[in-house]
Amino acid sequence: MDVAQELEDVLEALTLIQKEVNKLKTASVSGQALRNRVKDTYKRWLPVAGVLEAGEIVDTAQLQDVQRAWMALAKLTNSPSPKKAYKPLLKTIVTKTESELLHTFIKGSAIQTIGNSLRKLVQPISDANLLKYLDESIRCAETNCIRASVVLAWCAVAYMIHKKLTSLGITTVNAEFAKMKADKGLMFRTFTRDYVFSSAADVQEAPDAHLILVCRFLTYLDDTQYKHLKGALDLRNGCGHPTGYQPDPVKLQAYYADITQLVLLNPTFT
Amino acid sequence: MLEKLKADFDAIIELVKMAPPALQEMAFKMILEQWFIANTAAKPAGAATAPVGAATHGSIPETVKPFLTANGITTDILEKVFHPTGPGAQLLASVIPGNGKASKLVSLSLLLCVRQALESGGFTCTLKDLREMAVHYDCYDSPNFSKNLKANKNYYKPREKGADLELSGPGLKKAGEIIKSIAAGE
Repeated sequence: MDVAQELEDVLEALTLIQKEVNKLKTASVSGQALRNRVKDTYKRWLPVAGVLEAGEIVDTAQLQDVQRAWMALAKLTNSPSPKKAYKPLLKTIVTKTESELLHTFIKGSAIQTIGNSLRKLVQPISDANLLKYLDESIRCAETNCIRASVVLAWCAVAYMIHKKLTSLGITTVNAEFAKMKADKGLMFRTFTRDYVFSSAADVQEAPDAHLILVCRFLTYLDDTQYKHLKGALDLRNGCGHPTGYQPDPVKLQAYYADITQLVLLNPTFT
Repeated sequence: MLEKLKADFDAIIELVKMAPPALQEMAFKMILEQWFIANTAAKPAGAATAPVGAATHGSIPETVKPFLTANGITTDILEKVFHPTGPGAQLLASVIPGNGKASKLVSLSLLLCVRQALESGGFTCTLKDLREMAVHYDCYDSPNFSKNLKANKNYYKPREKGADLELSGPGLKKAGEIIKSIAAGE
């Protein structure tokens, strides 16, 4: 069963019923045809509710709220009942089905398939050190821990950047940071830090924002690539610190697409 | 580099001599120009100009190229809407063009079809993807989802209810217009 499609159909039928009930000039809903349409829609809802109940995507309490409203609505259809009894029930069912059930279901089903999409993106990567982080990140995504997934995937990016920079030799890295500090161009003039690294471990202590900036300075990234990598770092920082931001699976997939093509699979960094 | 030029110079002169006398000067200039391009490609670290690893951008699938040409979409325009412009393409727009959820949903569906084409060559989009993206872009109007797609059915090839969307001729044209409007910042 295509649950999303079925829920949309139920909602479509219900909103039409809602409009007709609102338009009624009588105080009660007495017409048999309209009451039968409510009953028919309820019959369509029941199997969908069964599937939702058997799954783990939607919250059981929210599902039960909707189910209770449906049962009350179905009971009203047994005999002519006041319009004012229909209205709040219809509103509750439509609103809750849409915001609490359908939207949650869509996001939840995206979570169920996100692992495959992400694995496809990282599939060409063979470096065991990177895969260690990425595999853990993807498993986080599959359990709806999107923020943890973002942070862990960035570990793979940081690993690649550290590896690339330290491969130049510490003296060269120090020299390039000094040159970048001296550069008064638009992109680098705000960089004012003095770095004197003495080991590869020291480089890891520098903020990632400075490390990716030096990658731009070294022309490992062009302006657009740098901008997107900076965006990915901002997302990582938003997820790694206490903020109210909660990215969704769509955002995570875009983040993965960026980090893989900008760094993880970029021949410049391998 | 000067040493290498000295070493290669005789070979360059030999090549120039093979051209008709009237064209030798031009041939010399062209060969020398190419020699400099080839020998100065590896720039010293620190020069903040073009990237060294330019091969990271996705390549545009062959099946998408006629669509781009027909709609006057350059790589520059495409790069403002999708990143990368090949497999793994993601929609860059933070806002989907359109007035109201219905219009935005249709625009989104067309853009997702182009995104899929950049991925695999086919201008298609699953309803599952469309719903997920519509929730993300806040243009998902669940009771009217099917109705909105049906109201714009000329943009898609005929299909069964619940089946994937595939762009028709007018759909491709409209998708081209949307891409250009996003790139223009409209």
